[in-house]
Amino acid sequence: MIDLLKKLFKDDSESKSRSAANDRLRIVLTNDRLNLSQDVLDSIREEIIQVIANHIDIAGVPEVTIITEGRQSAVDISIPLKPKGR
Amino acid sequence: MGKKTDSSQVIVVTSGKGGVGKTTVVANLSTGLAQLGYMVAVIDLDIGLKKLDLILGLENRVIYDIVQVVEGVCTLKQALVKDKRYPGLYMLPAAQTRNKDDITAEQVQRIVDELRQSFDFIFIDCPAGIEQGFKNAIFAADRALVVTNPEVSAVRDADRITGILENENFKNIRLLVNRIRPEMVKNGDMLSVEDLMEHLCLDLIGIIPEDQNVVISTNRGEPIILDEQAPSGQAFRNIVHRLIGEEVPFPNFDIKPSLFQRIKDSLFKK
Ligand SMILES: Nc1ncnc2c1ncn2[C@@H]1O[C@H](COP(=O)(O)OP(=O)(O)OP(=O)(O)O)[C@@H](O)[C@H]1O
Ligand SMILES: [Mg+2]
Repeated sequence: MIDLLKKLFKDDSESKSRSAANDRLRIVLTNDRLNLSQDVLDSIREEIIQVIANHIDIAGVPEVTIITEGRQSAVDISIPLKPKGR
Repeated sequence: MGKKTDSSQVIVVTSGKGGVGKTTVVANLSTGLAQLGYMVAVIDLDIGLKKLDLILGLENRVIYDIVQVVEGVCTLKQALVKDKRYPGLYMLPAAQTRNKDDITAEQVQRIVDELRQSFDFIFIDCPAGIEQGFKNAIFAADRALVVTNPEVSAVRDADRITGILENENFKNIRLLVNRIRPEMVKNGDMLSVEDLMEHLCLDLIGIIPEDQNVVISTNRGEPIILDEQAPSGQAFRNIVHRLIGEEVPFPNFDIKPSLFQRIKDSLFKK
């Protein structure tokens, strides 16, 4: 249902340059505001994973994303862990 | 002629990126407010690259400039150029053969404070960029209008400017979208006003459509707001009324496909 609603209110020109502009702006503005490049983000992820991996087994692929709410941003890190003793 | 209000609003018009329409906005909003009987001063801070005198059609009346005021060559009153149409509109010209570092933010502040006594509205036309000229322009202002065009590069610069203004504790920052082309937005080939508001997280003060009449009126040195017919003239008049605190609804420039069309599309797509 939510998906249907989303579809209704989303503009229907996925392939048009307007949506490309929006996608690019979303990334570039987040990076500008935080003064962070994809490289820095990648090394943050590597380092955090390393710290965790020193103590616990990691399962699957960790995800690092930037969440934006208005002009505020947060780093969201999700690291799947391996259950013990199986 | 005296002030209409007890207080004064000092408004800086800024954008980061050059050529998006700052000077056009200053010329039109100041003319519109003067038309309503307000006392309005405009300060051209684009020192070295002045254009406001041309856009207001006052280039032949300029004698002194802001740098000469600061250096004590003349008084502020002597440097103010009277508009040829409205008795309440005055311009403080920029110097053409000097540069942005020939004046400090504190000196601008002193001039603005003196102008507050006689003017209801004081507009500051900010140069492009984020260097000294920009810092001089925002220092004395109470509120800011961020002008942008529906283009990625202009939006990026507007965001940079907004970040700086917020760090400087500006509470009243409003977005002015210039040169929107509704038919391109409708076709999915231009960022919409909603897109810009969402990216920049700013409230809107107005939307000015792309309008060739702007070029024609600029050639003549007559702000487009004086044109009763031009769509951009009407859009500027709407902003003038918002500046004096009236509620003016936004025209629907972002023509979206109808709800029915969208329901149909989503049901039959994929
Ligand atoms: N809504 C519009 N429709 C058509 N042309 C426009 C519109 N707004 C501005 N222009 C044109 O765009 C050009 C740049 O405008 P303007 O000088 O006001 O920009 P600016 O931001 O002050 O530039 P700068 O950064 O160089 O000071 C001018 O030639 C002007 O006539
Ligand atoms: Mg200008």
